[in-house]
Amino acid sequence: MENDKPKIVCFMCNFAFCENETKPPSNVNVARVNCIGRLDPVTIVEMFENGADAVVLTGCKPPDCHYLEGNIQAERAVKMLKKLLSLAGLEPERIKLVWYSPIEGKSFDYHIKEYAEEMAKLVSSLLKTDKLESKLMTNILAAKNAASNFQLRVLLGREKELTEGVNVYNEKLSQEEFDELLDDIVETEFVRQKIYVLTKNVPLSVKDLSEAVGMKPAAVLKQIVNMRRKNMIACDHLEGQTPLYRALEAE
Amino acid sequence: MANASTTNVKRKLPPCRNACPAHVNVQAYVSLIQRGKYKEAVDVIRNDMPFPAICGRVCFSPCEDACARTNIDQAVAIRSLKKFVADIERQQTKVKPKAIPKKHKEKVAIIGAGPAGLTAAYELAKLGYPVTVFERMAEPGGMMRYCIPDFRLEKFVVENETNYIKDLGVEIKTGVEFGKDIRLESLKKDGYKAVFLAIGTQAGMKLNIPGEELKGVVNAVDFLRDIALGKHVEVGEKVAVVGGGNSAIDAARTAKRLGAKEVTILYRRSREEMPALPSEVAEAEKDGVKINILVAPKQIIGQNGKVTAIECLRMKLGEPDESGRRRPVPIEGSEHRYEVDMVIPALGQLAESKCIPKELLDEKARIPTISIDPLTLETKVPGVFAGGDVATGPASIIEAVGAGKKAAVSIHLYLTGQNVRLGREENIEETTWVKNREQIKKKERRYETHAEKPRLNFEETVDYLEKLERNAKFEAFRCLCCGPCAECLANTDFCEGDKAVVDEVLCIGCNVCAVVCPFGAAKKDENNVARINEDLCKGCGMCAARCPTRAITMKKLTNERIATLALTPLKGR
Repeated sequence: MENDKPKIVCFMCNFAFCENETKPPSNVNVARVNCIGRLDPVTIVEMFENGADAVVLTGCKPPDCHYLEGNIQAERAVKMLKKLLSLAGLEPERIKLVWYSPIEGKSFDYHIKEYAEEMAKLVSSLLKTDKLESKLMTNILAAKNAASNFQLRVLLGREKELTEGVNVYNEKLSQEEFDELLDDIVETEFVRQKIYVLTKNVPLSVKDLSEAVGMKPAAVLKQIVNMRRKNMIACDHLEGQTPLYRALEAE
Repeated sequence: MANASTTNVKRKLPPCRNACPAHVNVQAYVSLIQRGKYKEAVDVIRNDMPFPAICGRVCFSPCEDACARTNIDQAVAIRSLKKFVADIERQQTKVKPKAIPKKHKEKVAIIGAGPAGLTAAYELAKLGYPVTVFERMAEPGGMMRYCIPDFRLEKFVVENETNYIKDLGVEIKTGVEFGKDIRLESLKKDGYKAVFLAIGTQAGMKLNIPGEELKGVVNAVDFLRDIALGKHVEVGEKVAVVGGGNSAIDAARTAKRLGAKEVTILYRRSREEMPALPSEVAEAEKDGVKINILVAPKQIIGQNGKVTAIECLRMKLGEPDESGRRRPVPIEGSEHRYEVDMVIPALGQLAESKCIPKELLDEKARIPTISIDPLTLETKVPGVFAGGDVATGPASIIEAVGAGKKAAVSIHLYLTGQNVRLGREENIEETTWVKNREQIKKKERRYETHAEKPRLNFEETVDYLEKLERNAKFEAFRCLCCGPCAECLANTDFCEGDKAVVDEVLCIGCNVCAVVCPFGAAKKDENNVARINEDLCKGCGMCAARCPTRAITMKKLTNERIATLALTPLKGR
């Protein structure tokens, strides 16, 4: 059954692309980009939103990047995205980074077939656009919004500067500290965006939200206070004593 | 070629192309090799010079020294790649090139069928001039044929490449000596409108020490030439080669191959100062050649007119001289002898003064040289141009090729009545990928570039060739393509022509783009708005992928386009 196979999007570095070696199976779509580092994390999450089951990034093995650091940028993005995916309740294996060179031992087709089989076994459910569970869709949308968050993107973009250099106060950030910081922001941002997506159409109370997000009401309230400051959310109306919150349209 | 020279163009070249005296488009052919387009790659090389296979073997590859990749790990093996494509082309295409129709009537005479002369002939033939090359020796090729031994440059390679030039419609007359059979006046009488003198430096320099006339003292140039001509050359048991250039190494290795038991190179400076390629020196040592540094010969001692020993002085290094190398200073009383029965002086070459017409000679120079305008290669006599070793002193093949190309442009401008100097001074800027050379952590060498030729049977050879092709592709993929545009990538979506555009309203000056950009193209200006330096931007789009406010977008491959590319086939299912 064709439709039972996972749909896989494969982004491929143009410099690792080799015409006669790339004959992927029909459930895999190969999209060439000039470097896998060029991929916006949001674009990758969008793939899941639009019904892809898994995303493979195929690029040149460091240090062989045509753009010097593109593959390392991709590595960073993938690390962050895996975290986001697991928060969204999807298997982090749905994103895979493959180092590949058209002249090295295993062919591209080998890599991709291996991954497709792995995916067929591992992925518990296939994401189908029309039937996508609303809960899952909420999560994916939240992840997408989180990936486009300013703070997170600044941190992601400046990793090299922050971990290899010193900041204006002459402080040095170790890789572990940075990872912790990024994880922290990813988590917070995901929760906030989830609250935002949930309250977009229906005003919800803190209690409802804490059930949906799976956090203590106090923690949710803390996020809501923060979000109100950022003009992301506002009190819609009171239901008895309980305030119901609704997301605000972005300016 | 002619178009480019009419205006003073400002060109941006990758370092490899700029370093090459012939400005061969290295980046283009390397990226064509990446994509397996070998024939096209050779065409690109042939566009700039006629000797892909020869230069693939013996060029001293200034391109590799300039390669930007040296800042990361080690240079791309450009020369080996050139040899690889040239060899594949020779195996695959047996088609002769078609003769180029003659567009012009003006006949051009070229004296000397060496690299400079043949290149000039090749370029002029491409422009449609009837060209005749006069050569004193029996076969064309010059020093490439008669001075470089077979184990470095096979004769059939020279034969192929000279035949290619012949097939384009260039007439090569061999066995004609300039100054004896033909002269400038006789050429003029025969209707040649322009002459290019590229007679090279054929005479070996003398040691100028006592005992040089003894039997057993053979100059390296004569020694190598006699071997190339197939003559029987007697080689002694113990041979001393004096000099540290490539000819010295060639002569030493040849002597060793001809049966000399002990070959010693005597060089007066230290190893670092040796002009020979370090790889060649290493090869020579592998062959068993001994290298004695900081020794200079004082006299050659003989018995019954035959060499028996060479007396030398120890040297030490003094202050640097005008060539930048440290001058050797003899140590008093350090005379010592080497028992030898053959001495090969390989100190360099001189032009044969009897060949050079008096009116062209440079009076000021100590050695016979033709005085030329270095920009246009014009001599004092109008219509007569000179270049290559005869004008610059002994140099390399690729420099001679560069001179040949220059001469062809000058002759074309001269014959069409244009100003020969116009637009010749090119303003070249180098591009490079590397943002902060100092900051880059050099990775260790990962590849052995110059692999030895193995001895294989037929079955193994097939595998070997396949592996060779994969290795070549891999090597080609290491190219950073630092130039502005690679020819083969033109007209595709992934052309380097993509550009980052900043939306000034959205930009908040967070500086992420400046951190992300691998080439230092993105920078904040004084208004805290990101600016993209278009000269440095390679269009990779990494800034667009990371910009926190989506202020930066790419002109061609936008984020939306990537999403459509990736999703359209899936939605169709």
